[in-house]
Amino acid sequence: MSGDPDISIIGLPESGKTTLLAAIWHMVREAGSVTALKFDGLSQGNYEHVSALAKRWRAGKRQQRTQTSGMKVVSMRLRTAQGRSVEVSFPDMPGEDFSGMWEKREVDQAMVETLEAKAIVLIVNGDTIKFPAWIVEQMAIAKGAGIDPAEVDLVDWSPHLAPTQVQVVELLQFLMTGDLFVGPRRLAVLISAWDEVEGDGLDPEEVLATKLPLLDQYLRNGRDPWTWRVWGVSAQGGVYEDQDKGEQLEATAALRDLDRPSDRIKVVEGKTVSTDITLPLEWLIG
Amino acid sequence: MASPAMPTVLNLSLGDALDREDASLLQCRRISRTIGIIGPNDAGKTSLVAGVYDLLQGGPVAGVGFAGSSTLIGFEKICHDARAASRRDAPHTERTSAGAEATFFHLDLRPTGGEVMSLFIGDRSGEDYLAAADDLARAGDFFEIRRADVVTLLVNGEHMVSSEHRHEAKSATPQIVDALVEARALRRGSHLAIVLTKEDCVLASANADRAHREFEELVEAVRDNHVGYLGEVGSFIVAASPRDVTLVKRGEGVDQLLSFWLAAAPAPRAVLRQKSESSRMIDLLDTNEDLAE
Repeated sequence: MSGDPDISIIGLPESGKTTLLAAIWHMVREAGSVTALKFDGLSQGNYEHVSALAKRWRAGKRQQRTQTSGMKVVSMRLRTAQGRSVEVSFPDMPGEDFSGMWEKREVDQAMVETLEAKAIVLIVNGDTIKFPAWIVEQMAIAKGAGIDPAEVDLVDWSPHLAPTQVQVVELLQFLMTGDLFVGPRRLAVLISAWDEVEGDGLDPEEVLATKLPLLDQYLRNGRDPWTWRVWGVSAQGGVYEDQDKGEQLEATAALRDLDRPSDRIKVVEGKTVSTDITLPLEWLIG
Repeated sequence: MASPAMPTVLNLSLGDALDREDASLLQCRRISRTIGIIGPNDAGKTSLVAGVYDLLQGGPVAGVGFAGSSTLIGFEKICHDARAASRRDAPHTERTSAGAEATFFHLDLRPTGGEVMSLFIGDRSGEDYLAAADDLARAGDFFEIRRADVVTLLVNGEHMVSSEHRHEAKSATPQIVDALVEARALRRGSHLAIVLTKEDCVLASANADRAHREFEELVEAVRDNHVGYLGEVGSFIVAASPRDVTLVKRGEGVDQLLSFWLAAAPAPRAVLRQKSESSRMIDLLDTNEDLAE
């Protein structure tokens, strides 16, 4: 693998890292799909993990949470439009490892090598962004609505209470300092669950600026040498069923009714909409 | 001999407010401004520091954008009691412990069209500063004030409209400046921002006009007393973390203060000693000041 592009996918828990992997693996192998990067044959390696992910994805079942112990590396050989064959590896790391970097201020040594990848995909779930909220403004709203504040127990400070954008900025800062610093890197920011976000009528850069303004400022002001772009991605196209709960949803059935599973995918950059989930990877590989 | 076991985890930076040495190391990296904030207890010192950071959560402030910070955990801690996640029904701020060494909050900021600048904001207990007015020897410990490009002196707006505290607030403020200048804890050429805090309390009072007038008189008196020693003396009125947003908005006036902090030319430094036993910037600064005086 030495010398081949490695792409690390980072993101807080439940941001959609595993779903993205499943969708990529399906799409590059789907007969007749039109993608910027194409499947270039199997190489040595074990595909059991990623095949299982893709199988669940095709069936419209939610991915199980990535095991918190042990990291699985998904490797695939892809061919660029220019005919160059590249082996790309994606470590499938649990989101808890990333939230632990913020909360515990440490990272497992086993993750360090993967975090040294020169190409990074950062996934932020656009539907579960935790915004900072201030007492004085909430109280003004409650007062305006004639609601008296309820008696509640006070909550002590804990790092997990921090807004999403603060935790994500710190993750990126970690990758640009100390032992994790490897020089300039490419960064694809993917705002996942785009099907839930797009109703606001904003393009991905506008979503970044309005829903994650601290992250937007950090990247735009260029203190750290990131070369970055932002996409909106819906790797599922809608809600998937929770198999463990025996869910059967009409919305999922509608997704399964589409002729090709890849039709569920939506990749948005600026005003351009596509189903090609390899576009951010093509840009990262450069 | 068995080789030492490899550590299983890599420790990352703690993200808390910086001690003097860590702040000095960061200060060497890019253009920086150091701010010392002085004020009696409950004047709103911590709220002001938290308020600057919390305004950036919503986007650039006065054309100045966030570019990074080494103290995100420290900021998050001091912001918590004004955030809804604390489940409080009114903003609250913990006091900085008396007697503790000063620490620094760090922000990298980029003014529109300009270079990234580092801002270091010193934090020390208000009690310690008040004590210096009575005992000049204690002012020598205030390294964060000696190194400050802009010293920011807070006047508690709530006290300025209180019949019980009003005269004390008016007297104590110039006395602190006098003591710091006398002890040379405030460097020659340092800029001074005098800030009336808690504007929400002031505006809610029947004595608001009087408080504003007396505040401006106080600022003029400090200017007159220290003309030729201090650099620019600016006056500001802020509501960093108001208890009510009927009359002011959260963070009102903080943008103008931030602009003043960043625009201020660095206070003049003395010529470096040719040989120093220390390589720390703060120590170099301290010894140079000794030479300069």
